[in-house]
Amino acid sequence: MTLLRTVPQKRVALLLVSLGIVILMMLWKPYALIEGLQRGGLYALIALPMALILGIVGIINLAHGEFMMLGAYFAYWLGVYFGIDPLVAMIPALAAFAILGSMTYFVTIRRALKAPELNQLLLTFGLAMVGMEFANLMWTSQPLKPHLSYVYSSMALGKLRFGTYAFIYTAAAIVLLVLLLLFLRRTRLGRAALAVGQNPRGARLVGIDIQRTYLLIFGLSIALVGAIGAMFLTRHSVFPSAGSPFTMKSFCLIAMAGMGNLPGVVWGGFALGVAEALVLSFRGYGGWADVVFFAVLVAVIMGRSYRRQTA
Amino acid sequence: MTAKGKAAVLKVWVLAVLVVVGAGFVVAAEEGPIKLGAVLPLADITGAQGSKAMQLAVAEINAAGGLLGRQVELIIIDDESKPEKGAAAIDLLATVHNVDVFIGGMSSGVHLGQLPALKKYEKVTVWIGAASSLVEQAVVGMDWYFHVHPWDYLQGASYVEGWAALQAEYPLIKIEKAFWAYEEGAFGTSSYNGSLVAFSNWENVGESFKSALLGGGDYRSVLRHAQEFDPDLFIWVGYAADALPIMEQAREIGFTPPLFVGSPPGWPADFGGSALANGVCAYGMWAPSIKNVSPVSEHFWDAYVAMFNEEPATYFAPLGYTNVYVVAEAIARAGTLEKEALITALEATSYVSPLGETLTFSPSNLIEHQGFSKQKILQWQNGAQQVLWPFEYATALPAYPFMGK
Repeated sequence: MTLLRTVPQKRVALLLVSLGIVILMMLWKPYALIEGLQRGGLYALIALPMALILGIVGIINLAHGEFMMLGAYFAYWLGVYFGIDPLVAMIPALAAFAILGSMTYFVTIRRALKAPELNQLLLTFGLAMVGMEFANLMWTSQPLKPHLSYVYSSMALGKLRFGTYAFIYTAAAIVLLVLLLLFLRRTRLGRAALAVGQNPRGARLVGIDIQRTYLLIFGLSIALVGAIGAMFLTRHSVFPSAGSPFTMKSFCLIAMAGMGNLPGVVWGGFALGVAEALVLSFRGYGGWADVVFFAVLVAVIMGRSYRRQTA
Repeated sequence: MTAKGKAAVLKVWVLAVLVVVGAGFVVAAEEGPIKLGAVLPLADITGAQGSKAMQLAVAEINAAGGLLGRQVELIIIDDESKPEKGAAAIDLLATVHNVDVFIGGMSSGVHLGQLPALKKYEKVTVWIGAASSLVEQAVVGMDWYFHVHPWDYLQGASYVEGWAALQAEYPLIKIEKAFWAYEEGAFGTSSYNGSLVAFSNWENVGESFKSALLGGGDYRSVLRHAQEFDPDLFIWVGYAADALPIMEQAREIGFTPPLFVGSPPGWPADFGGSALANGVCAYGMWAPSIKNVSPVSEHFWDAYVAMFNEEPATYFAPLGYTNVYVVAEAIARAGTLEKEALITALEATSYVSPLGETLTFSPSNLIEHQGFSKQKILQWQNGAQQVLWPFEYATALPAYPFMGK
């Protein structure tokens, strides 16, 4: 009872509804639940760094997917030249993409912070094009993928046989969420970043270096998405346009969760992943998965808008 | 001399200068190289290796003295897999480079965009790509147009013939039920619809999936549906980006049909390096192993590796090589670049190609000059593609069932 008193009733209701759905799906469509949580984990994982930039720097980074794609190439070539596994390559990718992100911020983003939003969008769209064409020139459009036997590891529970490796995305999304929340709420730098995201002028008045905070968050986000690219590579081929669709999905997740709502991004990712997997589990209805994705998105945004009007 | 007389002398001098300069240009033009204009998607492995193979053929021809006493110049333009770029390339080759023959090609979509430009110039064209029968419908009556690659319906017919021949030759192989997983775009859908007609004697079930190329990459639901259907043959029609992930996910869920077939336009260069590739069947016009049964293919392989320090991995490499040689031999037979003579010489083509077959031109359903009419059924075995059918080019026995099920 103490717990129920401290946790808002709305969250308890959400938790109970989620639990109900999970139990129902475990009985009805266990594969859709398992694979939905796995693909939803990937969506959430990729969307989190974008949510961080949007929530604090206030920029929609349309080159988000391209940074992930470059991270995947980075890991691929580390594997080719030095025999490094993509999961290990996440560590050098973090460092390399922190530098790339910081340079990108210094050279381009910093100069567009006060520009109209449309100009910022065009700038990041341009960065996306540069990233894609750079990859095309360097490595052609041929898909590349390392051969990794652990990615098709599986387990069987009775007649239920499913892949276990893809849970890495689910786990990574939750771990990243926890780490980001700890960073933002428990560290001085993180609290400063939150303050900048909420009110840049007020933050400046209390002595927070806005530019340094923006640089830190942008660099951190690009470092994270570069490392996620290495993890993405374990199960997916990389090619110049591999990242673009994930920019759109990430943005939709953030829109669904609401600005700055990192836990919402993860919940939304799981919800959309499971919804997609449920649709795909019916033979011949696979084409509806995207429709469901965007229908859920529209329904949530409209629902939120309705609640605000009635509040 | 009167003013009138001076003017007349001046006119004669000007005329003489013009004649001399003009004649110089004509002589220079006649002594210049014979120009072949190629359009290919250079960022794709098909175009990249096809263009290299063309350069190899031109180098060999020039080293042997050229054609008609002149050197051969190959001008290659990248169509970037875009119809508008492909059409602009034709204009550029015709107007700026003034090429004698158009060659090259890969995508049907790009080629459909190029056809208005080709029809404008009506130069002799020998095209190695563009398998869609929509292209065939658009080139009816163009006597200067020669098409090398089998049309889509010819490919479908050859697969029917090939699988029937394999079942007859190896009674262990039985195909009564097939599951088709096809990418949801035009390529996959049209392939599936065409296959339903071609393989009407099988029990066919199909389901679309979102290719990794378009943001997909999770094939498990389709694979599970295939597993429930328990087909004798499972075939996926998608892109190279799907090749390895689809095999990994099939292994993940334990899906091992007796025949596992992939039908992408091109395979990833290192697909054979995966342990999961073993036993996967494929369609194609050529496999590196053909060099073991064809001296022309062996020569092509050795020369290509020596020149570029890489192995040809797509059939567009020997096809590009064939493209140049077919045109070169026709020019040599015609003894001129005059259009009608060149068309007649091309019609008499009988070129033993590195693809295995001898290339000749004969009528297809709608056009007069169709080259190859069959694809081959291949299988990945121990990292290399082997030919299973046609039996005259077979380089290995079928590994059946897939994964030793």
